[in-house]
Amino acid sequence: MAKYERQFYPGKSVPAANRRRYMDPKVKLKKLRSVSADDVVRLMGHRAPGEAYKSIHPPIAEVDAKVDCPIRKIVEPIEGAKTGDRVRYIQFTDSVYFAPISPYQRAWMYMSRYRGIDTGTLSGRQIIEVRERDLERIAKDLIENETFDPALTGIRGATVHGHACRLDEHGLMFDGWQRYLWDDKKKEVVYVKDQVAIPIDTKVYVGKPDSQKKLRGRTTIFRADGVDMRDDKEVTDFYIRIHWLRTLGGYRPFDVKGE
Amino acid sequence: MPKPPVDYANVPLPEVRIMTNRLLSAKTTEAVLNAIDPIQHIRQVNMTGESLPAVIGSGPGKGLPNNHTERQVINVAGREVELRCLVGAFYIELEVDDTDMLEATVKEIRSACESTIPDGFSLDIGRYSKYKPSLNDYRSA
Repeated sequence: MAKYERQFYPGKSVPAANRRRYMDPKVKLKKLRSVSADDVVRLMGHRAPGEAYKSIHPPIAEVDAKVDCPIRKIVEPIEGAKTGDRVRYIQFTDSVYFAPISPYQRAWMYMSRYRGIDTGTLSGRQIIEVRERDLERIAKDLIENETFDPALTGIRGATVHGHACRLDEHGLMFDGWQRYLWDDKKKEVVYVKDQVAIPIDTKVYVGKPDSQKKLRGRTTIFRADGVDMRDDKEVTDFYIRIHWLRTLGGYRPFDVKGE
Repeated sequence: MPKPPVDYANVPLPEVRIMTNRLLSAKTTEAVLNAIDPIQHIRQVNMTGESLPAVIGSGPGKGLPNNHTERQVINVAGREVELRCLVGAFYIELEVDDTDMLEATVKEIRSACESTIPDGFSLDIGRYSKYKPSLNDYRSA
């Protein structure tokens, strides 16, 4: 029997290929910018840079070490769980104007690439919850790699409104709380508030936004004015098949044959 | 029973709707309004856009001032106007007598917008806001 090879997403179009790339944990995503670990901590606002991690339970090794638990034998805990860190979050908002990734693909990507996480999808935002020190590592990765664009991806813990609004004159996604600004001298986006809009002491520069032309090559978003999903036959057939099977499964399960 | 006449609550005045391709900064909004202001036959100008709250309304920062750089008091023809949103649309109600007057006014408005809105806009003529009372306006308290 042939060895099972994991598949990610059908299709030959650019968004389809990007969806596969972002989801495949074997693909190392390009690092496009560098943000220091302390700055990532500032942007999230869960603790002050340099402050010790708060814990909610003693280190796992010290807790009930004698308990014979089969799950502990199977599952290697992540670092934050080992030390008893709190569970904290980061939430990203992705603009519909060809942001590099969109919330649903973020969920697929997170589940495929990271362990010990909980994630939730909403229309324009994606939250990821994980133990604090693991969160900081993951957040740094997500801000620095190619799934982030300074203008079209927002780090927003609350009041995320803006993903479907028109962009502003500088090409930035609308944010009523203005967590980030356009620095006209440096031509970069700079964060002046943390993800819940509390002002931060040190400004955090997250780099230059990419051009719309380049973003269209990086995006996972199918759009009528970009790559229409209906133009990628394999993707359309895939969704039609799922839709058809779900409908039959719900209403006429006896008609589902050969699947 | 006879039907009510079409001008039962006045014939609606035409409106020009300008939807901008980008949300406008306070500076650009000021420039647009000042360019539109001297044009004749304009009855009123309404603007809409994305709301800019004065204070943070939820989360751990609730109650803190928002300090949005675009929430400003702008100067339109000598009058101060407080902006509470990032403007994305203008609804300009015209007071015109005939099609020629309408077309001439729209031409002037288009030219004013072209010179002040940097990222383009779409301009439509019609009636987009309410002009006579409806059932909801007779609702008792």
